Amino acid sequence: MKLGLAFAFLSATLLAGTASAADKRWDGADDLPVNPLACAAGEANAAPAAKPYDGGRPTNAADKAGKPITLVDVPKLIGIGYFNATSKGMQEAAKALGNVTVKTDGPTEAKIDEQIKFIDNYITSGVDGILFAANDPVAIAPVLKKALSKGIHVVGYDANSTPDAREWFVNQAEFNGIAKSMIDSMANEAGEDKSFAIVTSTFTTPNQARWIAEMWAYAQKCHPKLKWLETVEAQEDNNLSFNQATTLINKHGDKLAGLFGMTSVATPASAEAVTKAKLCGKVAVVGLATPNAMKPYVNADCVKSVVLWNPVDLGYAATYVMRAVVDGTLKPGATSVDAGKLGKLNVVNGSEILLGSPFIFTKQNIKDFDF
Amino acid sequence: MTTLTLAGTEADPRRRLKVLASQEALLAIAVIGLAIAVGLYNPRFLAARNLSDVLLGNAYIAVAAVGMSMVIVSGNIDISVGALIGVLATISGTLAVNGAPIVVAWLAALVAGVLVMALQGAIIAYLRIPAIVVTLGMLSILKGGLISVTGGKWITDLPDSFHLADIELFGVLPFPVFLMILVTILAALWMRYSASGRAIYAVGGNAEAARLCGISQPRTIVMVFALHGFFAGAAALLYATQLRVIQSTVPPNLELTIITASVVGGVSILGGVGTVIGSTLAAVLIAEIASALVFIDVSPYWIRAVQGVLILVTVIADILRRRRMAGA
Repeated sequence: MKLGLAFAFLSATLLAGTASAADKRWDGADDLPVNPLACAAGEANAAPAAKPYDGGRPTNAADKAGKPITLVDVPKLIGIGYFNATSKGMQEAAKALGNVTVKTDGPTEAKIDEQIKFIDNYITSGVDGILFAANDPVAIAPVLKKALSKGIHVVGYDANSTPDAREWFVNQAEFNGIAKSMIDSMANEAGEDKSFAIVTSTFTTPNQARWIAEMWAYAQKCHPKLKWLETVEAQEDNNLSFNQATTLINKHGDKLAGLFGMTSVATPASAEAVTKAKLCGKVAVVGLATPNAMKPYVNADCVKSVVLWNPVDLGYAATYVMRAVVDGTLKPGATSVDAGKLGKLNVVNGSEILLGSPFIFTKQNIKDFDF
Repeated sequence: MTTLTLAGTEADPRRRLKVLASQEALLAIAVIGLAIAVGLYNPRFLAARNLSDVLLGNAYIAVAAVGMSMVIVSGNIDISVGALIGVLATISGTLAVNGAPIVVAWLAALVAGVLVMALQGAIIAYLRIPAIVVTLGMLSILKGGLISVTGGKWITDLPDSFHLADIELFGVLPFPVFLMILVTILAALWMRYSASGRAIYAVGGNAEAARLCGISQPRTIVMVFALHGFFAGAAALLYATQLRVIQSTVPPNLELTIITASVVGGVSILGGVGTVIGSTLAAVLIAEIASALVFIDVSPYWIRAVQGVLILVTVIADILRRRRMAGA
């Protein structure tokens, strides 16, 4: 009976914990300041005060301006559609530039300790530059600083580190831009006064936490009647995401009019859960996802908007930024950088390069993408 | 030979009490008790749709845990099963999108599962290398091999007929739930009543005594691993056919969830003891807790902590029970 007793104790503890959980509704958001965009489409937000360059600098980097360079790209993990796409963009940029060799290598699971080992190994074996997407902004900083101290250039993309641990960061979309696209789509599809829930990776994943905080701020400002029910965690696990989305549907019943998927795994899994529950058209699914995984649901009219930037462009831009840094054409204080076919990209927040507005995949355009 | 009588064939007057205190009974009580408790808090939890979804979404774990239980009862362990399920799902999905007959795509997962596991069983049994080392090696091979071969490309555009998990028997019973129940009952009967089933307990409980009884330990171990591979193949099919995409990666921590189901189900990590009814009930309980956490507004991250507590409690209870028996 020991098991039974322990179980009763656990249940009691968990039930007792619910009172406090009920007060904290915006689970999954971080506590950083928010900057919601203006409600009307296309209306420019007040530009934040220009920030001085706050990135790091490599020590005694070899002058390789115009010379061939070898780069390594260490994403959060390899083997998912998203980072395959950024990697593809890097290869395209390398081909266009002609004097860059870039190789993608990294952990098979999004684990910061493994990612650090990969970067450390490449510092030892010697490369001219490291491109990264951090699994943890703080934990990755020491190894990146070590790279800078050995004269290796460091540029981040997708997921940032603390600014002083890298030179530049290519920002795929500002958090408030994504938040606006997500909330506007939800209000439009589910209805202005309806309730929705969120399926995210974990409450502490930096990108997801930032988006959720900005979504909350923008919804309060521009769609104040939207009701947020709760956020659930599902890691980056397909089946767990599906089970979590299904549980939300069963828990909230008719009250639930929309689901947000905050990762490229959670969004198709949420769409599948809505499809299986035969609630297409009744529960709107809006989320970040790669197009291939969403095609069945978009083509079946179960999902109308898939929000993302173009990850191929992101990898492409990161490679151009690295080349510009090595060539000395992108220096602290610059206001823009030339990124090949993408044109001129603007510097924001001191040491970040902004890729542009988010991209929304719809039934009309999704067939043009294959990643 | 005490371990061989644990299943309860003796005519002990206290037997009825023993049955009630068995791991299986405790788990059944926990499954029902938790459902009632959460149902009182939020009646929607007890809706048929939700209960069915809990079973449907996690049946593959119970099916894999049946094979895992046999492996652990035989005195071994397998930590490669999560990676193998990822690989088998990818093999099956790749065949299906490339136009192979659906039945071939399904059978391929079962056959490949049996082959990989039988190979591991043979290495463990005949070369006498500890199972944890062999399966750790296989884990790395499968994990690395999968990512190298697929490049991590997701499998999309799966044909509709591939989705085995979508089938509903008699219009109500989802196929995964049916398979979970069927596999559990058949395996339980086989392990309890057949000579080869009893041999697993003998090998895991007391290898020397088993040898003296004329049971071939190596052959039993290879058989157990081959069966485990078959169940892993079946689990992979349920896993692969539930969603419209196959991620082509190894499902995170899946082997740990499967081992947890076996251990919490009362399968002794020291071998020789346990039933697949226990492991299936434990898989259901773990799935139920994960869903319940959402219903009572607690972060599902607690599921890890809860699983951990369940494992420790079960293992400690098992060790204490053994000590008491050894002392008696």
